[in-house]
Parts: sequence; structure tokens; C-alpha cells
Amino acid sequence: MPQPLPSKDQSLFRQVVRHFEMKQYKKGIKTADQVLRKNPTHGDTQAMKALNMSQIGQSEEAFALAKEALRNDMKSHITWHVYGLLYRQEKNYEEAIKAYRFALRLEPESQPIQRDLALLQMQMRDYQGYIQSRSSMLQARPGIRSNWTALAIAHHLAGDLAEAEKVLTTYEETLKGATPPVADMENSEAVLYKNTIIAETGNIERALEHLEATGYRCTDPLAVLEMKADYLLRLDRKADAEAAYTALLERNPDNSIYYNGLILAKSIPENDHKALKALYDEWVEKFPRCDAARRIPLDFLEGEDFKQAADAYLERMLKKRVPSLFVNVKHLYVNPAKRDTVQALVEEKISSQQSNGSAEANGDNNEYLSCIYYFLAQHYNYHLSRNLPKAMENVEKAIELLPKAVEYQMTKARIWKHYGNPIKAAEEMEKARLLDEKDRHGNTKAAKYVLRNNENEKGLELMSKFTRNETVGGTLGDLHEMQCTWFLTEDAEAFLRQKKIGLALKRFHSVYNIFETWAEDQFDFHSFSLRKGMIRAYVDMVRWEDRLREHPFYTRIAIGAVKTYLLLHDQPDLAYGPIPGGPDGLNSTDENERKKALKKAKKEQQRLEKIESDKREARKAAAANAKSVDGETKKEDADPLGNALVQTQDPLQDAMKFLTPLLECTPKNIEGQCLGFEVYSRRNKHLLAVKCLAAAHAIDPSNPTLHLQLLRFRKTLDGLSEPLPEQVAEAVNAEFDKLLPKSQNLEEWNESYLSSNKGSATHVQAALSARQVLKAESKSQCEKELLATLDLPEITINEATVAFDLLNEWGSDKTAYAEKASKKWPESSVFDLN
Amino acid sequence: MVDIVPLSSYPSYIDLLPSIQTCNITNLPENYFLKYYLYHALTWPQLSFVAIVRPRNGYKHGSGNGLAGVGAAGDVSGQYPKVVGYVLAKMEEEPTDGKQHGHITSLSVMRTHRRLGIAERLMRMSQRAMAESHRANFVSLHVRMSNTAALRLYRDTLGFEVEKVESGYYADGEDAYAMHLKLDHMWLDWKAIEKKDRENNKEEGDEDADEGEEVGDLGKKDMDKQIRVKVGRGLGVGELVEKNEARS
Repeated sequence: MPQPLPSKDQSLFRQVVRHFEMKQYKKGIKTADQVLRKNPTHGDTQAMKALNMSQIGQSEEAFALAKEALRNDMKSHITWHVYGLLYRQEKNYEEAIKAYRFALRLEPESQPIQRDLALLQMQMRDYQGYIQSRSSMLQARPGIRSNWTALAIAHHLAGDLAEAEKVLTTYEETLKGATPPVADMENSEAVLYKNTIIAETGNIERALEHLEATGYRCTDPLAVLEMKADYLLRLDRKADAEAAYTALLERNPDNSIYYNGLILAKSIPENDHKALKALYDEWVEKFPRCDAARRIPLDFLEGEDFKQAADAYLERMLKKRVPSLFVNVKHLYVNPAKRDTVQALVEEKISSQQSNGSAEANGDNNEYLSCIYYFLAQHYNYHLSRNLPKAMENVEKAIELLPKAVEYQMTKARIWKHYGNPIKAAEEMEKARLLDEKDRHGNTKAAKYVLRNNENEKGLELMSKFTRNETVGGTLGDLHEMQCTWFLTEDAEAFLRQKKIGLALKRFHSVYNIFETWAEDQFDFHSFSLRKGMIRAYVDMVRWEDRLREHPFYTRIAIGAVKTYLLLHDQPDLAYGPIPGGPDGLNSTDENERKKALKKAKKEQQRLEKIESDKREARKAAAANAKSVDGETKKEDADPLGNALVQTQDPLQDAMKFLTPLLECTPKNIEGQCLGFEVYSRRNKHLLAVKCLAAAHAIDPSNPTLHLQLLRFRKTLDGLSEPLPEQVAEAVNAEFDKLLPKSQNLEEWNESYLSSNKGSATHVQAALSARQVLKAESKSQCEKELLATLDLPEITINEATVAFDLLNEWGSDKTAYAEKASKKWPESSVFDLN
Repeated sequence: MVDIVPLSSYPSYIDLLPSIQTCNITNLPENYFLKYYLYHALTWPQLSFVAIVRPRNGYKHGSGNGLAGVGAAGDVSGQYPKVVGYVLAKMEEEPTDGKQHGHITSLSVMRTHRRLGIAERLMRMSQRAMAESHRANFVSLHVRMSNTAALRLYRDTLGFEVEKVESGYYADGEDAYAMHLKLDHMWLDWKAIEKKDRENNKEEGDEDADEGEEVGDLGKKDMDKQIRVKVGRGLGVGELVEKNEARS
């Protein structure tokens, strides 16, 4: 029961509520204080004051006050409601739901509380709770259509398609035949939503029937047509499907899915290339400017037919000076014959130009020629047709003809990247950027390339040319705010390469938090979309949010972060900054040398902290003078170097934050499974470790990382100081025996792996590491064999750099390897020892 | 090979939002939170489109026969296509002249995929949807005066006209052309649809369904009003409507 207030204070209290609703939080607090002066323990007022405070950044104080309010008045729905709202702001949804429930028990008729509860249930995917809430909201206000739709969504997402459909139909029946107007989009969307539910039941026949009856008056004609075409094809109603896909192509000839549908509808066999080509040619005629119909036939045509079609396609695009020609044909190269044909065709164009004599060296012809050189440069730079000297030769010729072409210069930088020379690559990309400084794409690439060269500060400086740089956080703050995941990820990886663990973790966590924000972003749409009535898009959004971290952006940072934590766990001294490895540094056998290195690192860390805090002070002073533009003061990052993250007591526990979603969302990613093994085995979670091994094995049984891990796990099991609990042991052994039988002779197993994979450098590397695990004294033999992998015809420079790092792990001298690799890749910089 | 597909209608490619955001911040100085993209996708799901490079082996075939389920649920997991362009579009929420019209919030194609006609196709798809779904009278957009390539597309290829110059429109002080293009010739024949409605209703023995359009428009306005009142609570979506790097 809320405590009664004198009537004057009562009206002041109502003002507090109004101030809050009008977002006049400071006034709200002031007015609340007026009430509290005379009624210091009035719970509701305290709660409302807290709510106002929470909106102006005083969340800690707000929380304390809300708790006090609750103590003063446990029987008020307001105190409970506010308590819930504050928890919700802190994203502690479980506690918020509990508080809302208390509030609702005290005030069962309150619509705002009921609604806030429902929104959270949706956010938490508590579908059963959501169904309950939505049912009672519908009962309270059955006149509002969105209340019906919401209940249908609740049932739908909970998996009860029949009930969802029933709710929608029940509403339709309340209209008693009065069809809503054609322009009523909410109605149109609800009808299409119902149709998708019917289709999801698998009864396509009924879905089609429903669509035929209602689709003509829906406000999303493209969607109706797409659904219809899809249904017709699934029902094998080929003539109608053909008409539908034809109509779709008339709308958009640039969608390969439509052509596929049309081909299925026309029952053209996959190998009837002539008929297929004729079909695409028809569309070329209808839409001469459309690329798809010209390009797709190159995918299936073979031999002479391919050659002819490819020549026509290439010639047309070159004549039109289309700079993106190469990216549009490179997918053909998975077929080596096609790759060679394309190469021959384009090379021929050069030679025929040259034999025509250079007399017509006018501007237009130069442009044509440069296009061909540019194509060849990209061709020889591509991994399936790589010949870097030729690539360089062609790009130089292209640049000579058109020195201002940004693309050409960018390609030159890319060639240097593939040469294994990130220094030159970054330099050349900078030249590309300078050719058009207003182009952000060039800026992005230039920044990316300096990051690849581990120049973090330079990268940030480049980025600053396109950010506002006015807020407290500066450029970096802007990039966080704009959720610039690519930069944060590249920055993190560059820090990791330099073993700057704190900063690497800092950036990885930033991207992690951006994903959290994206998950939180959906919250407002739980109510917003119901008002807007765009239900199909909303339901798609909810389902997408459920698999948000399947996105490759997440996979990448999760892998990076877990690697970082593993490194920190294995080399805890890195918490004090990068320490040179090798005989004089961290790996030193001499304890004094090691301590010296550590001390040096700590000093460096202190120096950096000082610089950072000076910068912060300077920014603060500047900000105080400038008074931030939008009036809101951005919170300062108290730990810009990530020292708090790096000084964790338990890196492996922290790694779980990244690892768990990684394994859950992308279980088919073998690198994720292998990293899962590394974390679990270090944490002595043997069963979970073997699960990761089994998952990795199911993806690729001969994966090199997995090979070494299998062996290491066998050795771990054999060498346990204390046997595993019986049940665990049984399960682990049963599972692991399928992967690497206990009876297996390990040396034989490893040597046979080596000999059956002797052409692949990565596999050989793994087998050599494995051999040393089995026989430490084989080290010098392994070093010799590792050196010999440089003679493998297929070895790539990336594989060689991995081997280079491997020598560190082995504690070996790298000179011989570096010399030989540098000779093999004379343009590279990655094998420089200093 | 590039496909032009809807962002959040059917099939939905909403999974690509993070990639679209990256495409934007890679190419353009005007950037937005993901939530702002969501706001577009969920308010006008018919209007935005994405240009994707399809996965090397084509699209994953869903369960069922033939094409069934291909991208139908927009499920691109495990085979995320590369996003090489997008158009993000909306309807003007408070048209000053009261005329329904669309607006291009952002359009971008990666430099690596220029001159393939992608931007043109994206624009045409969006324009048609504005006319067919929202009865847009015209579509408007802003373009940097120095952006000759974009100007060529809008003016010469698509037929936009310069309405006026907005000085200092961009954060860096550059002026913008405000351009527009009429769309009413692409409207659907709503009279015919209403006629079919009446015929259907007659068959069912109903008498009158002739109130059509006007009620609909009024109804819509009411809806808008409702929204504005309610959005004010807490962190409403409404707050971020115009909050972006370039113009704030």
C-alpha cells in the first residue's frame, strides 16, 4: 500500500512523474527533493527520484536510493517497478523480471508494468512467460489489433504454429467481413505474416491458396511474387512457376536465384548447356545492360563454347573499361581449364595490340590497354593463378599509362602484400590513398595496410581523417561509437602480433561489447515494431538476433581473444608488456637475464601509462574549454591500455566469455574447436576437451592442428599424475579411443601421417612438432626437415612464416631458415631477423 | 557475380546488417549505428536492398525439392555472402508538403565492384518499392556536389533533377545537391484492386466496401501520431532517427 501524502505533496509527486515522462530529469529530482524534505521516507518519491537520477548518469546513486525506497515501502508497485527498471538498465534482466512480477502482483491491472514485463520476457526469449503476459494484455484491450498480433508472435516463436495462426484468424473474424482498406499496411503485413506461418507448417498448398486469395491487395508486391514463385515451384506447378519467375526477372534481372528458379520451372536439364545459354541470351536481349545474364553462362559452359563466350564477355567489359571485370570472373578459376583459357585470351589481346603497331597510341587506346594490363596484374596476383613478378610487371605498365588510377596503385600494394612485404605494401597503399584523399575507401585500405604492418598509431591517425575527433575519446572513441568493427579487429590483431596483450584484449573486448550492443538494440523494437505493424521483418530480426554471433566478425574476434588469453596463460610475464623471446629474453635459462627483461618490460609499461594519463589530462582540459557539442559528457575510459584486463587472475576463465558463444554459434569452425581443446585441456576439463577434438575430427580428420592435439592429449591421458574419476575416465576414453586408439603405436602413426601428407608444408610442420613431443632428441632432425619444406613446390609464404614462428616454439635458431626463405622470396620482409 | 536481394522483406537478408554497416564505414564518411539500419529495415522493410557476391558454390539448398527454401528464411549462416553494396531507404515521416515521398538515406558500392550497374539496380528496386508499397509521389536524396560519379548516376541514368543546393549540408562543410525524381507513374492500379475487393465481397454476400483509400490514409496518420507519443519513454528508437556522425 503506497504511503499517503498530504495533498500538496501529492500534487508535487505527480509533477515528478510528469517531469520524468517529459525527460526533465533534473527538474524531476528537484521536485522530488521538495517532497522528501517533508516526507523523508516516502518510498514512491524516493523511487521516482532514483528513476530520474538514473537517466542523467547517476546510476549507482540511483540504485542505492531505489533500494532504500523499497525498504521504506515494500508494498508499493511503484518502488518495485522502479527497482525493475533500474535492473533493466543494468541489463540484469533476471532480477528486473522478478521485480516487475512483484510490482504486478501488487497492481495486477497496471498496463505499464505488464508491458515492461512482457518486453523483457521477449528479450529473454521466455516465450511461455511472454504468452501469458500477452494473453492478459489482449484480454485487457482486445480492440487493438497489435495485441492480437503480439500474441500470435508469442505462439509462433514458441513453436506453436497452429495456435499462432488461430489467433490471427480469430482477429480477422472479429472484423466480420469488413475488409480493411488496401492502404492499411498493418493489415497487409499481418496477412502476409499469417501466410508465412502457414508455409512454415509445410502445407504449401494451403499457403499458396491463402496467398492467391489475399496477395493481390498486399502492400509488398515483390514479396508476394517471391513467395508465390517459391510455393509454385515447391508444388511442382511448373507452368505457373515459370510465369512467376519470369515476372520476377522482369523486375530484377540481377538475381541469379530467379534464373535458377526459371530453369527448374522449365525443366531444363543441368547439362543441356545449349538450352541454358539460349535462356540467358533471351534475357541479355531484354536487358542489354544487365550483367548477370551475360556472366552466369560462363559458370556452366565448357571447352570451345566457354572460350567463345568468355572472349565476348571479356572484350565487351574491357571495351567498356569496367574496372571490376576481374573480381567478376575470378570465381571461374576453381576450374583450371577456364583459368588458363581466360589467361590466354587476355594475353592474346595484349600481343595483338602490340602487333597492330604502337602507331595508334592515342589516349583512348591507352585506356583500353591499361585495362588489359590491370586485368592481368590482378590475374597474376590471384592465389589460383599467382605469378607475382608478372603481376608487378603488368601493374607497372598499367600505372605508366594511367598514373592517376587509384585501383592500379592499390593492386600494386596488394602485390607487395603477397610478396610478404607488409612494409612496402603499406607504403604503396599510402600512395594510392594520396591519389584521392577524399575517398574513404582508399583511406580505409591505407589504414588497414599500416595495421597489417603493426603500426597501430599510424593506423589511427589515418582513420582520424574521416572521424569527428571532438569527443573525449578522440578518434578511437568515434570509431567505437560508430561500431567500426573492422578497425578494432585489425588493431587488436596487430597488438596481438606484437604481444601487447593488454591492448589486444582491450580491442577484442570492444568488438565483443559492440555485439552486446547489437543484441540490446532489438529491445526497443519489441514494442516499436508492434506499433509499426511490420511484423515479418520483426520476426526475422528476432531470429537473426538469436544467431547474431554466427557472423564471421564475431568468429574472428573470438578466435583472436581466445588465442590472446592462451598466450597470457602460457606466458604470464607478458602481462607486463611484450618481452623479447629467445635466449636473451623470456626463454632465457639464466634467471637473472629473465628478471632483467621483465624489469625492463615493467618500466616500459609504466612509461606508457604515464603517457596515456597525460593525454587524458590534456583532453580533459580541452574538453572543459570546448564544452562538448551535444551537451552529453562521454564517460572517460579509465583503462585505455587494457591493464585491468591483462592483470586477470584467471585468463582461461576470461577466455570462456569468447569461447562459449564461438563453440555454440559456429560449431563447424575447426579453428574454434581446436582452440576449445586448448582452453579445456589447460583447465583440466578432459571431457570437454575430447568433445572439441571429436568435433574437429568430424570436420577434417587430417587437420594439422588437430593431429598434434590428438597426440598431446594421448600423452596427457597417459601421464596423469592422478587418475580421472572413474565415470569421467570411461567417457573420455570411449570417445578418444575412436579418434586415436590407445593401442596405436604413436611414432608409427605420426610418421605415416607425415608420409601421406608430405607435399603440404602445414601438415609436415605439425608432424615434426609431434615427433618432438614423442622424442625430444629428434629436434635437430626436425629442424633439417622443416628447412627442407621450403623446397616443396606448393609451399606458400604464409605457411613459411608459420614455420618461422614454430622455430621459436621449438627454441631453435632461425638463421638458416630465414636465409633460405629470404632467398626463395627475395622481395619479402617477413623473414628479416631484426 | 553480384545478386541484388531485399534486405528485410522476403526473403530476408537481415543477417547481413553488420556487413552492410562495414560496407558503409569503409566507403563513406556518413556513418550510422547498427540500430539506425535496423530502424530502416524494420520500419520500411520493402525499401532497402543489398548487393551480394554469391558464395562460390551457389546458395545452400534447403530441405525439400529443387529451389525450395533457397535463402527463403534468409538463412545465410555458414556461408555469409560478401556485401559489395547496399541502398538504405526510408519514407519521409513528416513531409512538409503533406505528400508521401521516399528518401535515400545511404547508397554505396564497393570500389572493387564499380561500373557493373549495381548502384543503378539498387536504386531502381528501391524506387519501385516506394511507389508500389508506400504510394510515394517522388524520391529525394542528397549528393555531394563534388561527387561526379554519383551525379551522373542520379541525373543521367536515373533521371533525377536538382531541386536546390543545400549549403554546408555535410559535416565537413561541403554543399549538397538536393535531388528528386517523380515516382507516381509507377503506382499500382489501386482502383482495380479495390474493384476486385468489391467483387470478392459481393461473392461473399457483403454490401459495402467502398471506403477504401481515405480511411486508410487517415488511419495511417493516426498510427504515426500514436507512435510519436509513445516513443518518448526511455531509450526510444525515435531518439536515434537523425543521429548520425555526419549531421549531428
